[in-house]
Amino acid sequence: MEFVSPEGLRLDGRRPTEMRQIRAELGAVAKADGSAVFEMGNTKVVAAVYGPREVQNRSQQLSDQALVRCEYSMANFSTGDRMRKPKGDRRSTEISLVIRQTMEACIMTHLMPRSQIDIFVQVLQADGGTRSACINAATLALADAGIPMHDLVTSCSAGYLNSTPLLDLNYVEDSARGPDVTVGILPKLDKVTLLQRISCRLCMTDTTGEYKGIRISTRWINYNEG
Amino acid sequence: MEQRLANTWRFTVNERKFIETALLSDLRVDGRRPFDYRNLTVNFGKEDGSAEVQMGHTHVMGFVTAQLVQPYRDRPNEGSLSIFTEFSPMGDPSFEPGRPGESAVELGRVVDRGLRESRAVDTESLCVLPGRWVWAIRIDLHILDNGGNLLDAANIAALAALMTFRRPECSLGGEDGQEVIVHPPEEKEPLPLILHHLPIAVTFAFFANENSVAIDPTHHEEAVMGGRMTTTLNANGDICAIQKAGGEGVLQSVIMQCLRIASVKAGDITEKIKKAVDSFNTHTALKKIKRHPSSIPMDVDGADSKLREKQKSLVDKKATIPCPSENVVRETKSLDQ
Amino acid sequence: MAKEQPGSPASFVDQLVVPGDVVLDLSNMANQTIKLGSGLRQESDAISVTKAGKFRLSKPNKYWVESSQKRYVPCLGDSILGIVVDSKADNFLVDIKGPALAFLPVLAFEGGTRRNIPKFEAGTLLYVRVVKANPGMNAELSCTDASGKAAEFGPLKDGYMFECSTGLSRTLLSSPPCPVLEALGKKISFEVAVGLNGRVWVNAASPSTVIITANAIMKSESLSVQSDLNLYAWMEDICSSCGVVYGDTQTPAIQPSIW
Repeated sequence: MEFVSPEGLRLDGRRPTEMRQIRAELGAVAKADGSAVFEMGNTKVVAAVYGPREVQNRSQQLSDQALVRCEYSMANFSTGDRMRKPKGDRRSTEISLVIRQTMEACIMTHLMPRSQIDIFVQVLQADGGTRSACINAATLALADAGIPMHDLVTSCSAGYLNSTPLLDLNYVEDSARGPDVTVGILPKLDKVTLLQRISCRLCMTDTTGEYKGIRISTRWINYNEG
Repeated sequence: MEQRLANTWRFTVNERKFIETALLSDLRVDGRRPFDYRNLTVNFGKEDGSAEVQMGHTHVMGFVTAQLVQPYRDRPNEGSLSIFTEFSPMGDPSFEPGRPGESAVELGRVVDRGLRESRAVDTESLCVLPGRWVWAIRIDLHILDNGGNLLDAANIAALAALMTFRRPECSLGGEDGQEVIVHPPEEKEPLPLILHHLPIAVTFAFFANENSVAIDPTHHEEAVMGGRMTTTLNANGDICAIQKAGGEGVLQSVIMQCLRIASVKAGDITEKIKKAVDSFNTHTALKKIKRHPSSIPMDVDGADSKLREKQKSLVDKKATIPCPSENVVRETKSLDQ
Repeated sequence: MAKEQPGSPASFVDQLVVPGDVVLDLSNMANQTIKLGSGLRQESDAISVTKAGKFRLSKPNKYWVESSQKRYVPCLGDSILGIVVDSKADNFLVDIKGPALAFLPVLAFEGGTRRNIPKFEAGTLLYVRVVKANPGMNAELSCTDASGKAAEFGPLKDGYMFECSTGLSRTLLSSPPCPVLEALGKKISFEVAVGLNGRVWVNAASPSTVIITANAIMKSESLSVQSDLNLYAWMEDICSSCGVVYGDTQTPAIQPSIW
């Protein structure tokens, strides 16, 4: 299948290194201490943060840092075929873990010992790049909740189809089973915190193209935050 | 609550500090350098498709079994590959019995991604009858002892088990050519799986101070590290999967350096696995030769051949039963055992 | 074996015994007073073994079974290494590898008063003495010797702590000094604190020395032949596995200070 037209345009009319439109809205959930809705094209994710608050399960309490918990879920109506998925399947358990560890690394947990921070992330519409959108939404929600952080983590995906590197894959491009990579960076520290590559036999390629795109997304987020 | 505290594993400030300071001068507690891999031994069980991997104190066992099932609707002519992990509390008191924990799920997913998404196992050759019967390969990974870096060990165990696994050969028969006949191993030599390449997982630990990096972290180092990255590569240097799930941020240059080191290590480990598998294969081949020595006393031979005939006729009977699903499945199950 | 010649203690002394062995028959030694240590149990006239290990006799009349375990059972007067787990108003909770956490009263320090309670974060390594060890109760520790002096007790800074079996830690403390420690001490200088609960702390000027020492001690667990020649070859082996040439260290050879 042709993912990049001879004119160099993708199926949805973007150029290879062009991102989808980003939209972020803070304070979307009234009850939560911090919340954000994040959209990347048709992918829409809502994140809510509660905390720092008292640890619910006392046996998990950490005496030198805050306990960070994360729950990722996909709304039943988020994908094309609507079906009831069991809660806590392997995929969502893994993504919860990934989001938790990514956020844990940038939250200054040592400032809030004996407390707990809960991050709930839900995918409302899935059109590729849900992992990245979730991380971006979670970062914004944490910032909205006023939780001290080293940096804002930003994330974006990229792939390689028709011998062209593509930024920010949508669902069709994502399900082409080409190599793809999700990157999460700490832009101010210029460090990579999240990196997941799922691919079939990709030679070591330079990831600078991807980083460029993520920088752009960072700027966007900063802008929205301001 | 005190009882609970008494049963968890303790880690002193001294150890934590020492591991970090030693790494600053390129030393590790077990005498390795930061980019030395632990000694790797691969052993095989009596049956095909079982492998035991030992790396330092880490001990992981892999079993491969196969079963005839109906294929997934979207891939009617492909077999399937699934991975199950078992973290028993025997291996580490922090593993809880029952539902697999987060780390068990992550391990399974990363091994799965390395093997499946990189199409290391040829699933199309596992198809028997498109849309009706395909082989479902199941890999069970048992953690017997946790000495750190379970992921790499589990990945190697899975590969070694896959490489020695033999599935019974089957052919189509019956009037309409729609019946599946599974040939017992005595009749037709079982077939090995087709592996296109060996994706090797190599894990790096990142430490908070001064950007220290260490390959193949031990249990103690895992308790100290700030982040971890698992890269899955094959001997050709192709990257099959990377997993760096958050944690300590790392410079891009460090990641590239890790990938280069990982590709060298992947080559070494591939070599080791292949060597172990080869010696296992020659060993089993030799054993087969010994099983039928030419100088068997007459009477024993007679009894044996009679028995064999009996078995054969039994098998034939079984095999000619037309294809209703239960029969086939039952038969494969018995082969599994 | 046990039934063939009970009552002749000499036949079992320094031999391996397993649970159930009857090592002494009191009916044969009616006019003697004997003292039983750990791993022995009296059943009317028979003294039987409850733990696998070596049967020991300290003349004239003390008997016990010397065993090597990973777990530690608190015993009065033992010097051990503990890890602070938590601090409460009156006690520090200390992990001693035993069946339960041990209590270290906040006043059990030299000149300890309510005013000068030391502060230990979780994970601090302490060299302590067991002062109360009653079955069914949490053991009580103290950071002073019998006369109330701090002696060597207290927190251990820096260095590296590793775990071994209780048997090995007893060997390390034995006199004459354990050959491994002696051989190490001839070449390199280091500090070592051995806890009877199977924990050893090592410290030296450079991390490489610590690593060599720690590995040598850990690997000496399975060492049986301890003639000097073998020991040196073995030591070189360990050093090379740690990437260091044995005897290459520049520090003057002084005896290790064994606590």
